[in-house]
Amino acid sequence: MIKYTLSVILLTLAACMVQQFMPAISGLHGARVLILPLVFLCATVSVNFATMLLLAFICGFLWDAQHALSPQGGDPEVYTNPVESLRFGYSIILYAMMGLLMQGIQPLFRKGKWHISSLLAGIAIFLYLFSEYLLINFVRGDFAFPPTAFYRIYLTSALTMLFSPLIFWIIFQLASACRHTIRYDGLKREPRYLD
Amino acid sequence: MKPQNLIALLLFIAGAVWALTRSEQSVRSIQKTVYSAISPFITGGSGLETTATEFIKEVEHSQAWETKYDLAKEELDKKRIEVAYLRKLEIENAQLNQALKFQQEAPFHVLAAKIIRRQPSTWWQTVTINRGEKQGVGVQLTVLSPEGLVGKVDAPSEETSTVILLTDENCQVSAKVDGTPEVGILSGQRGQTGDKPNLRLRFLSKDATIKPGMLVFTTGRGGLFPADILLGTIESFESGPLYGEALVKPAVDFAALKIVFVKTPNSPESPR
Repeated sequence: MIKYTLSVILLTLAACMVQQFMPAISGLHGARVLILPLVFLCATVSVNFATMLLLAFICGFLWDAQHALSPQGGDPEVYTNPVESLRFGYSIILYAMMGLLMQGIQPLFRKGKWHISSLLAGIAIFLYLFSEYLLINFVRGDFAFPPTAFYRIYLTSALTMLFSPLIFWIIFQLASACRHTIRYDGLKREPRYLD
Repeated sequence: MKPQNLIALLLFIAGAVWALTRSEQSVRSIQKTVYSAISPFITGGSGLETTATEFIKEVEHSQAWETKYDLAKEELDKKRIEVAYLRKLEIENAQLNQALKFQQEAPFHVLAAKIIRRQPSTWWQTVTINRGEKQGVGVQLTVLSPEGLVGKVDAPSEETSTVILLTDENCQVSAKVDGTPEVGILSGQRGQTGDKPNLRLRFLSKDATIKPGMLVFTTGRGGLFPADILLGTIESFESGPLYGEALVKPAVDFAALKIVFVKTPNSPESPR
């Protein structure tokens, strides 16, 4: 189990590096393949709750470390309406929420229905980007949702989802190499007995 | 919930709170460390992209050669290719000359930098350049091209820096409309995509006489950007209840941008 967990963490770090090679496709409204969130989503369905939270923290931390913007700066008398940015660390929460969503269908994954997890990975990416965009609107005010933003969210999640069978295959190979059996070990309700 | 899950959840919450309460300085320090770790991959990615582009071009050339071979015009094709290559060199030479001329004529000290990665994040309009703190690049420094203002440095690391583009909503510039007393704040628009996004010039007078085609320059106020740098041209003007707002077409073609110049903090009296 520890060997598998470590290899999944290493896979996540490798995905973070691979993400640097993923360009935005200008012809598709700047959509791209989000390898790091995809690896996280595929991995969360195969690990327990505690490992999922650890992965969410690592991924969210690395994501924000690469993408958080500096404050606008400049003279506040001239720039009277500074544009707010999302706080460093918000992605940790978003990743954990995506992870919880994925863990909800862990029993199906255990039964071998990986294609449902694959579909849900696309939906989770869509919800992640949509929530991120809504958060930007919330902190900056003046709600704006142009069709181009929707196309970018939709195309990014669709493109990313196409790669999920490959990631699941890598995860199965890792589990096999580590002699780890992927089993449902998420949040369980303890049985209650009536006196 | 199992006890170990509860402990994991509490630890996670503690970690998330720790991350969310980091000061701006700590965040910059974290970012610098992460960028230093991944910069070889960013540079490698840029190299790989160039190799892939060259390979695709090579394949295209090979196919063209084959067609021309079938037409039995080998010698003529050879000459054509030579001419095309010379033209390419000529264009490259002109671009480099323009860049060099800009660097020499700029009234301030500038540092040439190559764009090695475009738009690394989903929602922010940013690029990564191959110059960092080792070369004197610092946060909030102005980034220019011979056509006009490109943006400002957002997060410099040792070897590379992230530049926030003028097309991002977060990059606000104090701007003036040439030939009028109108002054406003120029910024990008949220959620827009495409190669040529328009900019918003807000807080103009509602009864301003602004016509399409008028030039927009930086005012130099606000302590971020030097004065009289071209930003773009007015596309349209709309009067609101309190303020007027104009759509501005950027002077810089951000999709074609390859080399930019960072205005380094040397005294303006010592132009290079």
